Amino acid sequence: MTTPGGVEISLQNLSREFTEGTRQHRVLDRVSAEFRRGETVAIRGRSGSGKSTLLNLVGGIDAPDDGQVIVAGIDITQLSERDRTLFRRRHIGFVYQAFNLVPTLTVADNIRLVLELNEVPAPQIAPRIEMLLEAVGLSDRDGSYPDVLSGGEQQRVAIARALSHRPAVLLADEPTGNLDDASAEDVLRLLDTLVRQAGGTMLVATHSARVASFCDRVLELHNGKFTSTPGEPAAT
Amino acid sequence: MIPVVYRANFSYLVRHPWQLSLSLLGISIGVAVIVAVDLANDSARKAFLLSMDAVTGEATHQVIGGPRGIEETLYTRLRVEHGIRSLAPVVEGNVTVDDVSLQVLGVDLFAEQEMRSFTRRSTVAENDDATRSLFRTMLVEPGAVMMSVATADTLGIAVGERFDISAAGRRHGALLAGLFDADSSQGLDNLVTTDIANAQAWLDAPGRLSRIDVRIADGDIAYREKLESVLPADTTLLAAAGRTRTTAEMSKAFMTNLTAMSLLALLVGLFLIYNSVSFSVLQRRRLIGILRALGMTRRQTFTLILTESAGIGLVAATAGVVAGVWLGEQLLGLVAQSINDFYFRVSVTDISISTASIGKGVAAGVGASLFAAAVPAIEAASYQPRLAMVRSVLEQHSRRLLPVVALTGAGTIVVAVCVLALSGRSLVAGLAAVFMLILGFALCVPLVVKMSTALLAPFAGLAGGVWARLAVSEIGASLSRTGVAIVALAVAVSATIGVSVMVDSFRLSVGDWLQQTLQADVYAGVRRGDMDRDLIADFARTPGVEAISTSRRAWLETRDGRTQILAIRMAPGSYAGTEVLDAEPEDVWPSFDRDDVVLVSEPYAYRNGVGPGDDVRLRTRTGDELFRVAATYQSYDLNASALLMSRATYDRHFDDDGIDSIGLYLADDADVDDVIAELESISAGRQDLLINSNVRIRELSLEIFDRTFVITDVLYWLAIGVAFIGILSAMLALQLERARDLAVLRALGMTPGQLGRMITLQTSVIGLLSGISAIPLGLVMAYVLIEVINRRAFGWQIDMAIAPGILVSAVVFAVAAALLAGLYPAWRAAQSQPALAMREE
Repeated sequence: MTTPGGVEISLQNLSREFTEGTRQHRVLDRVSAEFRRGETVAIRGRSGSGKSTLLNLVGGIDAPDDGQVIVAGIDITQLSERDRTLFRRRHIGFVYQAFNLVPTLTVADNIRLVLELNEVPAPQIAPRIEMLLEAVGLSDRDGSYPDVLSGGEQQRVAIARALSHRPAVLLADEPTGNLDDASAEDVLRLLDTLVRQAGGTMLVATHSARVASFCDRVLELHNGKFTSTPGEPAAT
Repeated sequence: MIPVVYRANFSYLVRHPWQLSLSLLGISIGVAVIVAVDLANDSARKAFLLSMDAVTGEATHQVIGGPRGIEETLYTRLRVEHGIRSLAPVVEGNVTVDDVSLQVLGVDLFAEQEMRSFTRRSTVAENDDATRSLFRTMLVEPGAVMMSVATADTLGIAVGERFDISAAGRRHGALLAGLFDADSSQGLDNLVTTDIANAQAWLDAPGRLSRIDVRIADGDIAYREKLESVLPADTTLLAAAGRTRTTAEMSKAFMTNLTAMSLLALLVGLFLIYNSVSFSVLQRRRLIGILRALGMTRRQTFTLILTESAGIGLVAATAGVVAGVWLGEQLLGLVAQSINDFYFRVSVTDISISTASIGKGVAAGVGASLFAAAVPAIEAASYQPRLAMVRSVLEQHSRRLLPVVALTGAGTIVVAVCVLALSGRSLVAGLAAVFMLILGFALCVPLVVKMSTALLAPFAGLAGGVWARLAVSEIGASLSRTGVAIVALAVAVSATIGVSVMVDSFRLSVGDWLQQTLQADVYAGVRRGDMDRDLIADFARTPGVEAISTSRRAWLETRDGRTQILAIRMAPGSYAGTEVLDAEPEDVWPSFDRDDVVLVSEPYAYRNGVGPGDDVRLRTRTGDELFRVAATYQSYDLNASALLMSRATYDRHFDDDGIDSIGLYLADDADVDDVIAELESISAGRQDLLINSNVRIRELSLEIFDRTFVITDVLYWLAIGVAFIGILSAMLALQLERARDLAVLRALGMTPGQLGRMITLQTSVIGLLSGISAIPLGLVMAYVLIEVINRRAFGWQIDMAIAPGILVSAVVFAVAAALLAGLYPAWRAAQSQPALAMREE
């Protein structure tokens, strides 16, 4: 399933436009890039530069107007909506700025939801949840509901959930945007450690230099195009 | 200039058109049902009063006699011997022309001049050639009648045309001599006037009058007293207006019950309004939070929400009034049919739109909107600006309130029970208690839902996985949305259970009663009037007939109302047909045949508070006499006015030898159909009779019974329609509210199908909880309807019978309604875009 030469994600001439009123707004303009397996990359840019759109396209949440997105050897732009959903379920993990935990499920059930969707055999689910919560330091909060957790704790649950099914790619959109500095630092270290342990590829959309400093390289996105050379490690 | 804050909110409403539409629709239906029932009731009542007023004319009083009216010589005596001039004799009855039932009014054209405006054209008052010619025709031509243009059109008869009139089962020739003046014929549809001699001949009342109309000047007490002093003992002088009012009031309980049913639709609509308003507040928590942060006061927030609700209420009420007028026209036929079946003849084809009915509808719509919006408005005003942006705080707030709300509900139920126990025989208080029970129950449901979903969720998780658990727990977690929808559906379904169990029990009781009452094998009778005596004798001699019973239904009028006397000559097999409720039959029947006693129907006993050993006062040919009550008997007579008297007793006290119907008891080996055929052949050409087997009579009676409840069906289906909209609205609200959560689930890999199934499961559970919650309230409602409302309205004692099928079908129905209402929201949820999850809130 992995592309030769260790390339996990390949973006080829990717374009995406949105209609704003009567006018077309091109958010991504023939973007190309490659991301190697196990690599962590920060996508930096100002608000509206297309960072989230890029993550949506990589995660199969959105489809491009033009170009290809190849993840783990699969051209997901050729997949149907249903197949993209199944692909996303299996290969992608998401961490959001707003955490996006299901408020009516406990911490453990938020993780269980993804494992059940991936049809992980029942006997394996409980130990996996236990292991993940221990890894994020929330073993004692498994029965808690999200609204009683702090922002940092909620994001740690979101990370555990995102990694629960061992995805090939983790996509994080401003993962520390809603956190104070100390919590942000904790979350970044945790994310970095766990992703590297799992050997997955991580793309982080951020405008924070501090977040970018945790990544192997940084790509600047400006007006729908990369301004730094994709593939080159970037100075932080 | 509209303040910008109102524009901001208005813009929100416009951007959520479905939510706005469903709110408008819910209130509109509630208002429409209220307006429709009010207009239908009002139109029927007005038509009756109009017709009574027209027929009464200028008469202020009426001299009324016994069951067969009064001797016509009394009229002559009053006029000639006592010099009382303002009198007009009347013979009144019913005839049919081509199966159209008409009221016939026989008048003395010489005495009519100042009594009735519509007969004036045929009197000598207008001294022109046409009038003189009409007057002559009416006097000279046999069977000459006048009627309104509309009645002539309905019958397809032109002036000068001859036609047949059928009265008391006999045909007579008639001639349409003229038409009423168009400007004085209002309320006179289905009425024909004729010379008094014609009416006496047709109605088989030679020498008798139905009444004498009297005109007494206002305050002329001496004149009235003089008249009263010369009246014979078997007659009485009654005020015409009072007589009309007493008759109209007979249907009051029926109309009150219909009004209560219409309020049910509004009550269910009330939940819907509450749902919509609280949801729109919830949706705008960010906007409200910003406005509060910018300095909008609590009072301004409260006013903002209420003003908006009043606006929605006004628009919806206006639409509801328009729909109500249309619906009223549809209901009018059903209401008039029931009144005709049970109370009095009313001919009404057009709805009369009254400002009062429209005002009630608008007030109900706007009032209900404001009432329902008050709680969300208070809530919105109470939030701190910062908190207004946090949804979980709102849910936590409603969760904290749950026990308080449930306790208030329990308290309301206790108050309702006290009202039922302490309100004596008041029907309105009984109905108010029913509404309090519903409200109390409604307030308890959210807590029950919260507990039920907490219990059910783990099982759902075990059976279907975490998404199933999510579907169930979401219901309890979003009580501010789902709770009210469940309550709305539960109340509507409980009404179907309550009314169905009541109707079902009633039908069973009536069926059993008919089974017992109809002891004879065959019944023969004339629709109105007397049966031919020779024919009765011939029937008694018919091969296969072993015995006959006879029956006479007579009405006695007093200032307090009308009393119906059933004078029965029992056959040996007849006694078992009357169920004596509070005495030993073997003691009752010998006394019944021998002494001056009566049996009172159960409704009569309840209404008048009499029982065995008490006396009832009746006006006989020798004046008022007391009759001892021997016992109470079971009856489902709607008029609550029946007394049973032996024929021998009746003959001793009343000048009336008429017989309306007979029961024929056949030999064991006689074939019912053969005997009926023989009876029909005997009566052919002599008198048109209704001859039916007891089985057929039972069927016909139950057909009328079922027809009476058609309107009830219509009303509660409308209430369910409102509840359906409530569920649809709540599910759409939930779906919109949870758009982000649904998008997260999609982003995590849940397919559209899985999401759709999740919402479908959720709506099924909502339906199930509604259906199950509806059962206790439905049964309590049935009990109260049977034991309190029916008893107070009609005096009936009904045995409550609960068919399990009603309960099962109610639950199935609730689930089906919720499922149906959930289809579109499920589809919408399935379409949710996972990209939404990536956006910052």
